Amino acid sequence: MTESPDNPLEAYVRAALALQGYRFDDAEIAEIVVQFSRLEAIARTIFDSPLPFASAPAPVFRP
Amino acid sequence: MIGSAADIAQQIREGARSAAAVLAECKALIAARDPDLNCFTARTFERAEREAAAIDDSCGQGKPLPPLAGVPYAVKNLFDVEGMVTLAGAKINAANAPAAADATIVARMSRAGAILVGALNMEELAYGFLTENPHYGTTRNPHDRTRGAGGSSGGSAAAVGAGMLPITLGSDTSGSIRVPASLCGVFGLKPTYGRLPRSGTYPFVNSFDHVGPFANSVLGLALSYDAMQGPDPADSACAQRAIEPVGASLSLPRGIRVGILGGWFHEWADPTARRSVQMVAAALGATEWTELKSAEVARAAAYIVTGAEGGALHRPRLIERYEDFGPSSRSRLVAGGLIPASWVIQAQRVRQHAYREAMELFEHFDLLIAAAAPAIAPHVGQETLLINGRSIPVKAGLGVLTQPISCIGLPVCAVPVWPGGDSPVERALPVGVQLIGAPWREDVCIAAARTLEQAGIAKVRAPSAP
Repeated sequence: MTESPDNPLEAYVRAALALQGYRFDDAEIAEIVVQFSRLEAIARTIFDSPLPFASAPAPVFRP
Repeated sequence: MIGSAADIAQQIREGARSAAAVLAECKALIAARDPDLNCFTARTFERAEREAAAIDDSCGQGKPLPPLAGVPYAVKNLFDVEGMVTLAGAKINAANAPAAADATIVARMSRAGAILVGALNMEELAYGFLTENPHYGTTRNPHDRTRGAGGSSGGSAAAVGAGMLPITLGSDTSGSIRVPASLCGVFGLKPTYGRLPRSGTYPFVNSFDHVGPFANSVLGLALSYDAMQGPDPADSACAQRAIEPVGASLSLPRGIRVGILGGWFHEWADPTARRSVQMVAAALGATEWTELKSAEVARAAAYIVTGAEGGALHRPRLIERYEDFGPSSRSRLVAGGLIPASWVIQAQRVRQHAYREAMELFEHFDLLIAAAAPAIAPHVGQETLLINGRSIPVKAGLGVLTQPISCIGLPVCAVPVWPGGDSPVERALPVGVQLIGAPWREDVCIAAARTLEQAGIAKVRAPSAP
């Protein structure tokens, strides 16, 4: 697999892997791109979820 | 089949049997049935014999016995057991130092008199709804060896379903108690998030990790749940609540309002799963349908948070030992670790919103019901499920009905229901039903389960012959 500027998802995965210190060959990156594309597809269902602007995230830190 | 926890404890208390005799029966059942099911990854028989001897000594001296005295049980291999390596189903953990102490709830089970006989197989790192472990083998379904036990607590569910044990412990991040309980035909309890302490368990997703019991009877489920309750400051998510025992009274309050979850939960239930829900609804007198409109986005939120937290947790080991992770989990974990923060924050906002919607439902209902799995157990190695004409990958799809509920932390008792059908396969296999309560109302879930057990709707069946 070669890096393609036409595929922003793959470009993102390659950049994020490098930022996080991973070193993989192209075959391994291809597997990770497939998995990340599944996550992205599921995440799309929550991107535009109609939430009130002030809606708080769930986790609450309790010191 | 081994007896129920309550019957075993009563027999020992009354002197009808010794704890040593019960343990011998349990060991014989494990020797006969585990080789073709692969539930156990370790056996702790020396410890079990010491614990059984201590119970028999106390009994001989006329001392009062604790509630689970002499009851054998085993734990998913992500619970710390003193002197054993905590595997969490992973090769990367195999060379770790043995645990210095028992997990909190294992210690509490010991204090309640239960006898630990071993550790049980699971999906690698609890990431998935099967127990097709690349390092420790596949756990098979006690009612059909060609099919899987579900997961990730597959060994825990199958060991009870096979009649080897009356109680086991497991964990549930997105359905890992409820899915295998459903596929193996046993009772399972996922308490409210924060009810039972997770200290001394191998983590996966802190935001969603729960621990809880499986059992072959509702009373066994209740007795073990009661034994494990109580605050523990070692787990920051554990609620500092007093023990609220349920075992003493399992009666369902009169006039209880039961809602049948439609929408997402109906769409993703195949005809067998729908029949299970109908049987439970009829037995509980439920006729009103309702909907958790946020179910789909709550599932998506759970998926995103799970990926992000799991990926971040394992990043150092993924960098150093990628080849030692199973092929199906390593690329998913790495991909999860790349999820942008904005997705995670949005997922946590969705989660809070879904929780509030559920609280509005509980103004009208005391209990909600939905199938615990979309279908009967898939075959080992099967890759997709076909649900009402829609295809979904097995590994993720088995949790499609459980994930929205654990995302918002509600207590659920999964009950074994046998929906029958036209084919011998359908007649031989269960599809469980989730009895979903408002937060901290495990008592309602368990009482409803007891009502269904007494009505003969929810029951554990003897396993099929190998």
